[in-house]
Amino acid sequence: MSEPAPKTTNLLQGTLDLLILRALSLEAMHGLGISRRIEQITQGTFQVKPGSLFPALHRMEEAGWLAPSWGESENNRKAKYYRLTAAGRRQLQAETEEWQRISMAMAAALDAT
Amino acid sequence: MHKLVYFWRNLVRRRQVERELDQELAAYVALLAEETSGREARLEAGGIQQLKEQVRDVKAGFFMQTILQDVRYGWRMLRRSPTFTVVAILALALGIGATTTIFSIVYGVLLRPLPYPADGRIAMVFNHFAPQNAEHGTLSIADYLDWKKGNHAFESAELFRQALFDVTGAKEPEQVRGAMVTAGFFSTLRVQALLGRTFLPGEDAANAPGVAVLSETWWRNSLGADRNILGRKLNLSGVPCTVVGVMASSFHFPGPNYEIWTNLRLIPPTRRGPFPYRGLGRLKPGVTLGQAQADTNAVAQRIERENPVTYHHMTMPVVPLRDAIIGNIRPALLAFLGAVLVLLAIAAVNVAGLLLARATVREREIALRVSLGAGSGRLIRQLLTESLLLALLSGAAGCLLAYAGIHALRAWNPGNLPRIEDIRLDSGALVFALLVSVATGVLFGLAPAFQSGRATPASSLREGGRGGTVGASRRRLQAVLVMGELALALMLVTSAGLLVRSFLLLGQVNSGAQAPPENVLSMKISPASSKYRDSEQIIPFYRRLMERVRSTPGVTYAAISDSLPPDRQYDYDTFVIQGQPLAAGEINPAVTCPIVSPDYFRALGIPLIKGRFFTNQDSGDAPPTVIISDSMARHYFSGENPVGRRLKASGPDLHDTPFMEIVGVVGDVRYAGLDDNNADAYYQPYAQTLYYQRTNLVVRSNGPAAGLATTLRREVRELDADTVISDVITLQDALGASVIGPRFRTLLVGGFALCALVLAAIGIYGVMAYSVAQRTQEIGIRMALGARRSNLIGDVVAQGLRLALAGTAVGVAGALLVTRLLASLLFAVKPTDALTFAAGPVILIAVALLASFLPACRAAMVDPVIALRHE
Repeated sequence: MSEPAPKTTNLLQGTLDLLILRALSLEAMHGLGISRRIEQITQGTFQVKPGSLFPALHRMEEAGWLAPSWGESENNRKAKYYRLTAAGRRQLQAETEEWQRISMAMAAALDAT
Repeated sequence: MHKLVYFWRNLVRRRQVERELDQELAAYVALLAEETSGREARLEAGGIQQLKEQVRDVKAGFFMQTILQDVRYGWRMLRRSPTFTVVAILALALGIGATTTIFSIVYGVLLRPLPYPADGRIAMVFNHFAPQNAEHGTLSIADYLDWKKGNHAFESAELFRQALFDVTGAKEPEQVRGAMVTAGFFSTLRVQALLGRTFLPGEDAANAPGVAVLSETWWRNSLGADRNILGRKLNLSGVPCTVVGVMASSFHFPGPNYEIWTNLRLIPPTRRGPFPYRGLGRLKPGVTLGQAQADTNAVAQRIERENPVTYHHMTMPVVPLRDAIIGNIRPALLAFLGAVLVLLAIAAVNVAGLLLARATVREREIALRVSLGAGSGRLIRQLLTESLLLALLSGAAGCLLAYAGIHALRAWNPGNLPRIEDIRLDSGALVFALLVSVATGVLFGLAPAFQSGRATPASSLREGGRGGTVGASRRRLQAVLVMGELALALMLVTSAGLLVRSFLLLGQVNSGAQAPPENVLSMKISPASSKYRDSEQIIPFYRRLMERVRSTPGVTYAAISDSLPPDRQYDYDTFVIQGQPLAAGEINPAVTCPIVSPDYFRALGIPLIKGRFFTNQDSGDAPPTVIISDSMARHYFSGENPVGRRLKASGPDLHDTPFMEIVGVVGDVRYAGLDDNNADAYYQPYAQTLYYQRTNLVVRSNGPAAGLATTLRREVRELDADTVISDVITLQDALGASVIGPRFRTLLVGGFALCALVLAAIGIYGVMAYSVAQRTQEIGIRMALGARRSNLIGDVVAQGLRLALAGTAVGVAGALLVTRLLASLLFAVKPTDALTFAAGPVILIAVALLASFLPACRAAMVDPVIALRHE
């Protein structure tokens, strides 16, 4: 008997960007690292599939929020690392505030009787 | 900013971007494999192509990039199957080229603004009254002066008439078309002279000196572009006129080939007629056409009240200038446009059918691409790009066709199209061709593309392009396309059939001249008006001329007449029959009244029915005589013998002309065109009528008369070198020229119908050939089991016949709707003509049978052994 897998949730529209920005806020990471970090910081609620992750990374890179750099991975492979740019930090700030506003509003709405 | 950089990078350094993407994903997969000991990685790796496609999808410039890629790919695909490509491009280029040509004609004639500022505010003013009875009849100077006095709607009220000027004193005496116009004519049109000036206010006064404005074309061709022409005097039909200006060659008014405009002098009229004039005006700001119409009609009512003898039921129609110039060509042009759009639709459907058939061949390729990660949207886009590429190539070829077509058309001017000078292939037409190409490309590409987009790789690969659900729905679509094509073709064939029928009937109409038409030659002659000022002088000239021509070898009869069949009507007038008083308010209709010499009837072979022809004794001092046409005898003498009765002309002004005795009745002749059934006419002997300046010399020979032209010109010149000769033509050519309009539209629509038939035949052939190829195996089995070849052929042909019958049924219904719109173009044929409606389907079904017979034969040739081994 294995442990029941944690319940995963489909990502809300727009949530993925915020999660990626948040995951990269401490250090530069490559694709798999980002995906693992998101899993970790959401306690396994969100598992990002590569089919969502990579298009989002490239889109955000082209928007100027992420900057790419090539580096060595843990197993000495050449991997593409992403780090936040100044614009990316501003975006993270803005989206965080926006998200908090929404989540507070939602919480209030659900608490109301 | 970032976007632009990436856009550039993705497009230009595509290879590097791709390599980096490969590396990034490869690293991801490798890392993943390590982490999960290969369990998860294999699964993900299967979708690596799909993953790459998803990433590319969000990248800047991706769309452009795939388009370029698709275009390159499409180009390769088109080059790989040259037969398909050439057939498809030919069919479409034909459709697009024809459509662009017709569009250019329709746009140039119906829609292009006239080259006068605010041309929509200019209108022509006509006269409509009994007994003149013309819808857009002409005015007299008296009518004009009344209109000008009572006018509130126009900021200018002008008058003009066409004129033929005999220009003498220069080199060869020349007859030049022109117009006499009032002083404000040019300023109403708001046009300036290229050189010098136009007319000044007051130059239309009764005592103003003669002034003339020349066309640039005539100034260059006949005067060698002489810059010192301003101020020189020209002798125009005996009137000396000072040249004051030259108009640029872009100015064509009232029509093309007008070379001289002189000032019309408004001499106060002593009577209401004659009526050779048309009015021209520019509406005051804010005045609508309806208000202007009410204004002129009020004038007309006052004129009629004050002149009750001359006018009955008078109105003064106001017609926008553009409508007045293009006349009644609109229905024919719209018919062309409809026909050519149907042809284009057939061509597009045809190419759609070809694409569908080709999609079968490409099914494996497409299935492979789907399984390699191509989304269905991506696939549809790819296929649409291919069909657009095809359409644009065809569009380019079509534009070349249209260019050639319009050039030929302008050189030939078939059917006397108005405004032909305004027909050209311009940027508007090119944009139109582009739009048509794109639209057809999308339309004919859509069905096959969606068909293929729906394909699932598994089923397609399994089917191997044979049978199965996709195959079945594709066959259904193909059948529907071919049926549609056949139905459209039938509509065109039926319309063309009706036009051909009416053209043939028109050709059978008897002009009334029984002489062999190639043996009759006519020419217009204008004796110099300075020498022949009245009938005393001109009648002897004509007599000498006829005697001289009559003695020329080869000439049997020589005569003069101011009117000629089939469509050279000079004048028409009303008449009063002695002893038949009109009831109050009754008006005799106007009839043709030619003025002829005695031998005219013999020269044309117009038969004598009762009485006698004119003789030389019917001269000025003899009692006035008249000959009437058979049709007039039937209409006005109801069975009684008209010979010996008397009638007189009763035109609006002719109250005191003498009664003339009817001495003969002759066969009917059509002077107003072959399609005009009215043949009422009365003839007067030339020696008993007033002075007239121009007439036609008619000569009958005992053989083809065209060769006589040079001799006759010389004879006329030797008699009087100043006589202007024009319009030399045999009766045969005149008959042909009179039906050039109907012939043009018959040829054009007939040509479209022929193309439609060929395209429909290709379409049905394609479907049947495809279906036979699909069923090779089945046919092989049937043959192995002993089926006879004739049965197999019958089977395939029956399938084609079913398609043809279904298409025909739809087509007949469509044709019934469409041909009603042709009614105004038909002569003596109903839009629902039973013969045409029977013949059309027969032709179409015959073509369909023929087109399915070839594939059927191929089916019968199938060798069962090979067919069964097949795959």
